[in-house]
Amino acid sequence: MLQVKAGRIDTMGLLFERYNRPLFGFLFHMTGQREASEDMVQTVFYRMLKYRHTFTGDGEFRSWMYHLARNVIVDHSKQNKRSSQHYDLADVAEKIGGGTTADEQFQKKQELETLHRAMARLSEENREVLVLSRFQELKYEEIARVLNTTEGAIKVRVHRAMNELKKIYLTIENGKTAYKL
Amino acid sequence: MGKLPINCEQTQEQLTEWLSNQLPDAEGAIMDAHLAQCPACQAEADSVRQLWQMMGQLPTPEPSPMARIRFQTMLDTYKETIADKPESALDNLLTKFREFFTPKLAVRLAYSVALVGVGILAGYWFNHATGPNVAYKQQIDTLSTQVQEMRQMMMLSLLENPAASERLRAVSYTEEINQVDSKVIDALLTTLNNDANVNVRLVTLEALAKLADNPTVREGLVQSITRQDSPLVQSALADVMVKLQEKRSIKPLRQLLHDDNTNHMVKGKIEQTIRDLS
Repeated sequence: MLQVKAGRIDTMGLLFERYNRPLFGFLFHMTGQREASEDMVQTVFYRMLKYRHTFTGDGEFRSWMYHLARNVIVDHSKQNKRSSQHYDLADVAEKIGGGTTADEQFQKKQELETLHRAMARLSEENREVLVLSRFQELKYEEIARVLNTTEGAIKVRVHRAMNELKKIYLTIENGKTAYKL
Repeated sequence: MGKLPINCEQTQEQLTEWLSNQLPDAEGAIMDAHLAQCPACQAEADSVRQLWQMMGQLPTPEPSPMARIRFQTMLDTYKETIADKPESALDNLLTKFREFFTPKLAVRLAYSVALVGVGILAGYWFNHATGPNVAYKQQIDTLSTQVQEMRQMMMLSLLENPAASERLRAVSYTEEINQVDSKVIDALLTTLNNDANVNVRLVTLEALAKLADNPTVREGLVQSITRQDSPLVQSALADVMVKLQEKRSIKPLRQLLHDDNTNHMVKGKIEQTIRDLS
C-alpha cells in the first residue's frame, strides 16, 4: 500500500487480488447482502485510492482496509435504511453442504441456517467482532486497531458476543422444536 | 501452583481466545487443566466450541468474477483522472477556464459582442451619414457663391444698360451683395463720376456711402468731388463728407468753392461743410 501511496497505482491490483475475498466476506457477513457487498468492495478499493495519502503505514494494511470498510457499511446502511434489515438467507442456504447421508446433510443445513439467522440477529457491534475474529481470523490486537479500542475491550466484547449468539441460537432452535412438537 | 489457578468466570472469558488459538501456550495449558477438572466449564466450552466450529462451516459466497473486471475498470479510470491532474499549471488554468466558461456565459459573451458590433456599425453609419451633409453644405456654399457671382455680373452688366431705370436697379443690387469686391467698387465709382443721369449718380453715392469702411471707396469719393457738376450731387457729396468726417475732402471742396461755375447755394453749403470738418 505504501507503494500505491508513492504513486504506483498498479500495485493496487496486487492488493485487490490478495484482499478482495476476505473483504467481500466481511461485508457479506456484516450486511448479509451479496450484491450490495460486491458494490461495497468496489467502494472500499476506490476509497483506498482516493484516500491513499491518509494511509500512514503505521498499522497493517488489513486494519486500514477494515477501517474503511466499516465506514462504507455505515454509509451504505444510511442510504438503504429500509432495506438494510433484509438478510440474504438463500445465498447461504444454497452453499451449505457437508454431511454424508441425506439426513445428516439436512440436519447440518438446518443447524447452519439457524446459526446464520442468529448471526443476523446479533447487534451490529457484536456481529462485527465475531466476523472479524472468526471469519476474517483477525487477532484481538488487530481488531482493537480496526475498532480504535483496546485489546481487553475486544476480549470482553467477543465473549459477550458469543454468549449472545448462543442465546439467540438456542432461542431459535427451541422455537423450532416447540413448533415441531 | 494450585489445581485451579483460574476460576470459572475467567475461563469462560478466555474461551473464545482459546478457541481461536490466541491464548499463549502457558495459559492454554492452564485452561486445559481447568476444563478437565470442571465439568460445568467443560460443558460451556463444548457448546461454545460447537458454535465456533459451526461458524467456521458457515459458507461465505464467492465474489462474482465481475468484481475483478469492475475493479480493473475503476483502477484504469482512476489512473486516467490522476494522470490528467498534475500535468501542468497551464492545464489547471485551462480546466478552470473551462469551468468558468459555461455555455450560459458563452451566450452572454456572444450577446455583448453582438451589441458592441451593432454599436460600431451604427457609429460607422452615422459617420457616413454626415459625409453627404458636408457635401450638401459644400454644394450649397458653392451654389450661393455662384449666385453671388451671378448677381455681381448681372449688376455690372446692368450698370452699362442704356436705360436709367435698369442702372438704378443695378445699383440697388449692391445692397444684396454681401462681399463687394474691387470690381464692383470700381464700377460704382465709374458710375458716380460718369453716369449721365443725376438720379443714378445720387443712388450710387448713397450705395457707396454705405461702403465707406473701404479705403478705396473713401478715396474715390474724395476724388469724385471735383468731377461732379450737378449741384444736387455736389451738396449730397458734401453731406457724406461731413458724415464720414473726411478731412481730405477740404482741399477739393475749396477748389469747388473757388470755381465760378459752382452753384451759389452749393457754395454756401460747401462753406458750411468746410467749417464742420475743420
